[in-house]
Amino acid sequence: MVILEGRNITKKFAGLVAVDRVDFKLHKGEILGLIGPNGAGKTTMVNVIAGIYAPTEGDVFFKEKNISGLKPYQIGRLGIGRTFQIVKPFPGMTVRENASVGAMFGARGKGRSARQAEKKAEEILDFVGLGDQMDVRADQLNVASRKRLEVAKALAMGPDVVLFDEVMAGLNFSEIDRAIDLIRKVRDSGITILIIEHVMRAIKRVCDRIFVLHHGQKIADGSTDAVLADENVIQAYLGKRYKALVG
Amino acid sequence: MGNYRLKNYLICSLILLGMMLFPLFNNNFVIRFGTDILMFAIMASAWNIIGGYTGYASFGNVVFFGIGAYVTAILMEKAGLNFAVAFVLSGFGAALFAILIGLPVLRLRGHYFAIATLGVAEAMKALVQNLELTEGNSGIYLPMLDLSVKSQYYFFFYMMLGTLVVTLLVTYLILKAKFGYSLIAIREDEDAANSVGINTTYAKTMAFALSGFFTGLAGSIYAYQQAFIKPGPVFTVGTTVKMIVMAVFGGIGQLFGPLLGAFCIEIISEVLSNYFLAIHTLFFGAVVILAIVFTPKGMIDIASQKKFGLAYFLQNIRENRV
Amino acid sequence: MLLQIIINGLLKGGLYALMAMGMSLIWGVMDIINIAHGSFIMLGAFATYWLFTLLGVDPFLSLLPSIAMLFILGYIVQRYLINLIIRSSAFITLVLTFGIEIFINNLAQVLWSADVRMVQVPYGAANFSIGTVATVPIVRLMAFLLVIVISLILFYILNRTTLGRSIRATSQDLDAARLTGVDVPRTYAVTFGLGVGAAGAAGTLWSILFPITPMMGGILTLKSFVVVIIGGLGSMLGPLIGGLILGLTEAMGTNLLGATYENLIGFTILVLVLIIRPKGILGGTD
Repeated sequence: MVILEGRNITKKFAGLVAVDRVDFKLHKGEILGLIGPNGAGKTTMVNVIAGIYAPTEGDVFFKEKNISGLKPYQIGRLGIGRTFQIVKPFPGMTVRENASVGAMFGARGKGRSARQAEKKAEEILDFVGLGDQMDVRADQLNVASRKRLEVAKALAMGPDVVLFDEVMAGLNFSEIDRAIDLIRKVRDSGITILIIEHVMRAIKRVCDRIFVLHHGQKIADGSTDAVLADENVIQAYLGKRYKALVG
Repeated sequence: MGNYRLKNYLICSLILLGMMLFPLFNNNFVIRFGTDILMFAIMASAWNIIGGYTGYASFGNVVFFGIGAYVTAILMEKAGLNFAVAFVLSGFGAALFAILIGLPVLRLRGHYFAIATLGVAEAMKALVQNLELTEGNSGIYLPMLDLSVKSQYYFFFYMMLGTLVVTLLVTYLILKAKFGYSLIAIREDEDAANSVGINTTYAKTMAFALSGFFTGLAGSIYAYQQAFIKPGPVFTVGTTVKMIVMAVFGGIGQLFGPLLGAFCIEIISEVLSNYFLAIHTLFFGAVVILAIVFTPKGMIDIASQKKFGLAYFLQNIRENRV
Repeated sequence: MLLQIIINGLLKGGLYALMAMGMSLIWGVMDIINIAHGSFIMLGAFATYWLFTLLGVDPFLSLLPSIAMLFILGYIVQRYLINLIIRSSAFITLVLTFGIEIFINNLAQVLWSADVRMVQVPYGAANFSIGTVATVPIVRLMAFLLVIVISLILFYILNRTTLGRSIRATSQDLDAARLTGVDVPRTYAVTFGLGVGAAGAAGTLWSILFPITPMMGGILTLKSFVVVIIGGLGSMLGPLIGGLILGLTEAMGTNLLGATYENLIGFTILVLVLIIRPKGILGGTD
């Protein structure tokens, strides 16, 4: 079942075309990767889906409903969560409070009291591995923990789809491995994932399918192996040396 | 945990009891002084809702005070309504204005929001000075309260006290509810708040309306107390300055910060007046400067420090210097 | 009649523009809104007054000493006071400048009493006429021309000198500026000094044209806000345009509605601009 779909998505800023007539389909239960060189339009794409921008042309469909032009909070409440490339925790709040906010206002937040939301938040924090840091202030966490908190906030919303925007940036090798495990756990819990990433090791191991943007246009769309072997992708993204570097 | 809660409730109750008994042991002048402290405490606490918890530092909150005062004056003097009705309508009138002006103005952030609210307050003052309905600069007389002098002092004291209690109670309830979380989330990171499902427009506007509501009530009581109001005093930016300084001094984003700040600032002001009559405002300015440089987090933050000494002040400067 | 109104409006607008330039510079570079701005204008006005009254210095000549004195004052205030809290929230800095405003205004009142004063130059009433349609007071014209001159000097300093480059660098990217060797505390202090110096110049010119009192600063600060917002941050041209617009609309508005409407006009424009186009006419860099 196609849970999230973009049809002919175009986003222009004054003269610049950031996203150019892009179609994509996200099937329930899968992990779809979105890759492309810097400036390809990936984050803009995510921002369009998440409601920060309305598409100049084209539409976004969530569970067959047209959500183009809805505000970010409305999209959040419908069941799409997102993380930010440069993490945005609530600095003065504790880890627990951060996640609680997600649980209070997300898709499943409607009936919940503040108390209940806190309980839910604690579950989520255990799930992502922050169970032992619940009372720490968010601005005192290290990078890896901040990334986890970012994920926790999104998960606490109770979403059906999560958009991960470069969650692995800035992590070392072992942290990346743990992040990959977490992403798989998220999928296994029933959430569909769209993941933007530059870390190729992670993309290879986690994604079922990938689509590729370059200068705002989609240049490839298919299974992970097929796309990563595609000449166009290699040229655009990493140059001819990629095959030699990664096995 | 239970003991801690109980202790806090006990302390609050005792302080409240003390405040309620305050007029019985004092002369009219002191009661009036106390009433003024309470009035500023209301305004500073109301300001705290939008400025402290939501992070939108309004520099025009006096406009709600003035609106409250004028709505009461006009309703009582020209429409012949009694104070109780005028009082309530003043609060809602101010809140309504907050919503109207808040929708466009809350889209602005930081400095721009501050200046916009300042502009609104000044524009309102200028408008009231020129309107016939408000008698322009001549001012409006209100009907006098039909009680003995002593009873009048009591009346206004308890009106202010009651309003303050309601203001703080409502703030407390908000903080424990989801709404309070949404305000603080907006302050901490508005974009993240939006993405996590918070309708920030609604939350900000409500906070602004609440802030306006209670400030308007204070203005209403003030007008009745003065029995005569003019645009200048009830729309002066000086009042906004005072309420902000009090909130900062006591501790922004703390429930009792503004009350503590109002108390301290008024006492300091009074003491300075007595000793340095001519130059007391000068010293007041100096106090503000020193307080901001050395204790930007306010008195309540000091009270919650385990170890307090020179290091605390130096730490503040080290954190904030260029 | 209309011509006279326009001339009056433009001449006063030029003065508003100069007042606002100082505020715009400080706001644009350091993101500080100086509530005490009007107080510095007042100090410039009084510097001129005392130089004139006690030493017989012609007010136009006192521009230089006035600017110099206020530059030094601004430098000291920024370097040793404001720099202490500059990295805390913008709001805290605002409250600090509030405190400074209270302090300076009341110090002036204590020292010089609240009496209204005037700088009465012998040539104050001189004017020339444009046909029978309008008269232009010479002092106002001279003040306007000086505003242009000072603006050009400020523009030159900011865009053609090393100092100006450091100032612009710190406003664009603080860390990058630091890394390339800019002495940030000193640059901030100089910027503030320039801004306050400009305020002082505005004060000097104001004193020649209008009466002065220690409390005159408040409304001038507010009007400077209006001008900065209308014109937009980011260049010295913004306040110039904003000032002229404010001067013109005030002149025309008070002619239509009456003198008591002067403030209402300015503040209504302020609120409208903020609602419709907060960046102002020329604003773009933020």
